[in-house]
Amino acid sequence: MAWIVKPSATTQIERRNEPYLTKEMRDGYTADLLPRYETSMGALMPILHDVQHRNGWIPKQAMEEIAAFLGIAPADVLDTASFYEEFHTEPTGKYVVGICQSIACEVCGHKAILDHVRQKLGIEPHETTDDGKFTLLALECLGSCDTAPVALVNDDLHEGLTIEALDAVLDRLPD
Amino acid sequence: MPVTDPVLLKRIPTAPWGDPKKRTIVGYDEYVRSGGYTMLEKALGMTPEAIVTEVKDSVLRGRGGAGFPCGVKWTFLPPPDGGRRYLAVNCDEAEPGTFKDRLLVDFDPHLVLEGIAIACYACRLDTAYFFIRGEYRHQAKVMENALREAYDKGIFGTGGLLGGTSDFAVECYVHRGAGAYICGEETGLLEAIEGKRGWPRIKPPFPAVKGLFGRPTIVNNVETLAAVVPIIEHGADWWKGMGCESSIGGPPSFGPKLMGVSGHVNTPGVFEVDLGIPLRTLVETHCGGMRGGKKFKGAIAGGVSMGILGPDQYDAEMDFDIGRKYEVMGLGTACPTVFDEDTDMVAVARNISRFFKNESCGQCTPCREGAQWMFKLLSRIERGDATTKDLDLLLELAGSMGIMPGTTICGLADGHNWAVRTIVNKYLPEFEARVKPYHVPVSVTVGAS
Repeated sequence: MAWIVKPSATTQIERRNEPYLTKEMRDGYTADLLPRYETSMGALMPILHDVQHRNGWIPKQAMEEIAAFLGIAPADVLDTASFYEEFHTEPTGKYVVGICQSIACEVCGHKAILDHVRQKLGIEPHETTDDGKFTLLALECLGSCDTAPVALVNDDLHEGLTIEALDAVLDRLPD
Repeated sequence: MPVTDPVLLKRIPTAPWGDPKKRTIVGYDEYVRSGGYTMLEKALGMTPEAIVTEVKDSVLRGRGGAGFPCGVKWTFLPPPDGGRRYLAVNCDEAEPGTFKDRLLVDFDPHLVLEGIAIACYACRLDTAYFFIRGEYRHQAKVMENALREAYDKGIFGTGGLLGGTSDFAVECYVHRGAGAYICGEETGLLEAIEGKRGWPRIKPPFPAVKGLFGRPTIVNNVETLAAVVPIIEHGADWWKGMGCESSIGGPPSFGPKLMGVSGHVNTPGVFEVDLGIPLRTLVETHCGGMRGGKKFKGAIAGGVSMGILGPDQYDAEMDFDIGRKYEVMGLGTACPTVFDEDTDMVAVARNISRFFKNESCGQCTPCREGAQWMFKLLSRIERGDATTKDLDLLLELAGSMGIMPGTTICGLADGHNWAVRTIVNKYLPEFEARVKPYHVPVSVTVGAS
């Protein structure tokens, strides 16, 4: 639900001395991304993807740095980052397990799989395990309805899932 | 003349012509070996106007859901004024049940790129953004690799199309979305490319006049652009030999169509068939029939927003007339999700409602609030806590949100209310059995006190 209001006015920003946007990253964006778009803000989504890819999630400090880099308001960055479900504005586990819950997966038995993972990891959707290894998400259609039920574990799509198959995938992941 | 040979799936083995297990990514070399990029060469020998006329003559209707004629859309562009003009390729295939474009991008990305190059040349568009949904991570990588190959071989880039065969130069970039269904709406997609939240814009002005960064922009679906390549190869008359005329005097549905079947069938997948194929034929001959020999109960027409085909509409023809003939909104993406006799239709309605509740962008109140209410009502009906009054309220809510009653900016709310209304209307006894009668307690005193 992209439109739920976040308490941004009272948010405390955790800071660290080392910047999230290194010089090397900035140079890369200047050379590769900025020329692609007519406005600097056009490069915002690719940059957010890149920061999340490197860091696992997008901290507020990184948003401020991105805003300064692009010459836009930090609120604009928060606006975009908080709208899209795939951008995590809170820390996530090392592995993000997204189980598809849309129509084809539901009629092909996603519930048994979701319930199993909930019990196995001891968390509800949108929670992270205490050891920080797994975040569980219930996602909408992943666009692989012919092989339902499916789940996305980080960047890998696992199709035609059974409880055993997903167990095998999760158990194989190193700590 | 029916589709006898694969058209868009020429290089992607698909039943009945090939074995889906043998699919591999077609790289640049293999693509060129099998005749790839020769149609771009042919197109560059034609005038841009001739290409637009050819596509217009073919009556190629948009494959993304609305079915708007592609060639007509192209003619909405104002004449070039020296400024930038854009093509936005819509690969935000986020509608539940839809997965046809994924197949093209997964295995034959150069076909899509050739279509993009031809469309850019024909419409004088200098920059193309390939907008791909965030969940298609593997596909985005495949597309990035294909694009790198295409740049290396001079298809795109400052040197001009096809290694300088034409002076006209096109830049093409992949732009990844981040998990918002609303970005599949054409103006929501433009906002996302501009780096903003994907809030659809009020139309007019239409994107062809004032789109991306305020400049003329064409938004086309992946399959539509891929279809431009065979139309240039064989001509409009050949294209019109496939598909069907309208049986009710409407615009025709020509050409082959990728249809992705999911749900309770034996061999789900994407198939290339004629528009106008009856759903029964699609399921029985291409998908090996219903799973476990069960009876057909219903099917989503083409992505959940289009509504449902009831148990007596198994023979519905899958063409652009479907909306006017079978009480659904339209053909949509032509990717049916099929349900067998054991499916709980209340749960189906609740699932679809949850999807639209989660994906409403929050811009228009009727959609943002109405979606929540509809989901709550359907959940209550599913639990067995509802009364007949809730069912009435549900239908009243559904009828009062969307473009069609004129209360929202985009069609997301229409998708929601059509899906829910068609399911409730076509399976009313199932819903009525789940709700309790609504009694108003009344006390009456008879006689003088």
